[in-house]
Amino acid sequence: MKRVTLIFLAALAALLVWASGDLPDRADPLAPANRHLSPELTELTETDIEIPNVVSAVLADFRGYDTLGETFVIFTAGLAALLVLQRSRRVRDDEEDAGDA
Amino acid sequence: MPDRYDSVILHLAARALMVPLIVVFGIYVLLHGESSPGGGFQAGAIVAAAFVLARLTLGNRQGGRSVPMWLLTVIACGGLGIYMFGGILPLLLGANFLDYAAIPVEWYNQFAGEPKTSRAAGIFIIEWGVFLGVASVLVILYDHLTDAESDD
Repeated sequence: MKRVTLIFLAALAALLVWASGDLPDRADPLAPANRHLSPELTELTETDIEIPNVVSAVLADFRGYDTLGETFVIFTAGLAALLVLQRSRRVRDDEEDAGDA
Repeated sequence: MPDRYDSVILHLAARALMVPLIVVFGIYVLLHGESSPGGGFQAGAIVAAAFVLARLTLGNRQGGRSVPMWLLTVIACGGLGIYMFGGILPLLLGANFLDYAAIPVEWYNQFAGEPKTSRAAGIFIIEWGVFLGVASVLVILYDHLTDAESDD
């Protein structure tokens, strides 16, 4: 089984390496990802938002809703972990008390 | 996990030297989020790292005393509240939710050396919200995970 997994993973890696040859070069201005929306956002950042950092402009302004959701996700994760861990500790404490008595 | 390490060198290096530096760097990353790589998420992670370092050297019981759990929870909620404030303020002023262009900045620009645009001000507000939320949630997670461990 282990050998099958290894062969499969090696084949997958070879496939990915082979396919990566077709990817556009880094920072290629003609790559599809850089042709459609990026120039627009870069220009709008300069004229409309007037801050130098395009990443912050996209993160906080163009995609403000998205970042709001992300913050909610982090907050909810922390809250859930807090509730679960607190509860498990309380249950364990109760069991210890019962054992003592 | 030992409750506390008793080494002068460790305490001096970690708490006197590194923790303040890390906190200052985190605030720098937060305040420069508009003009250089940085922002709320990154600054929150950096500042949380400083708090975790203090807890690692002092032990949870003593290190955790600097910021109690209820306050961390309040700060996490407050971070989200600040973000929502940044969204609702334009709503109250007649624009769309999270439309920072409606945020009034004239009163601020009277005092400030560098004038801010409304949109930059909005981004600044929500970066603070993200920063407080991320930093406090990370510290909450660390405190609870290590506390559960040390109870065994």
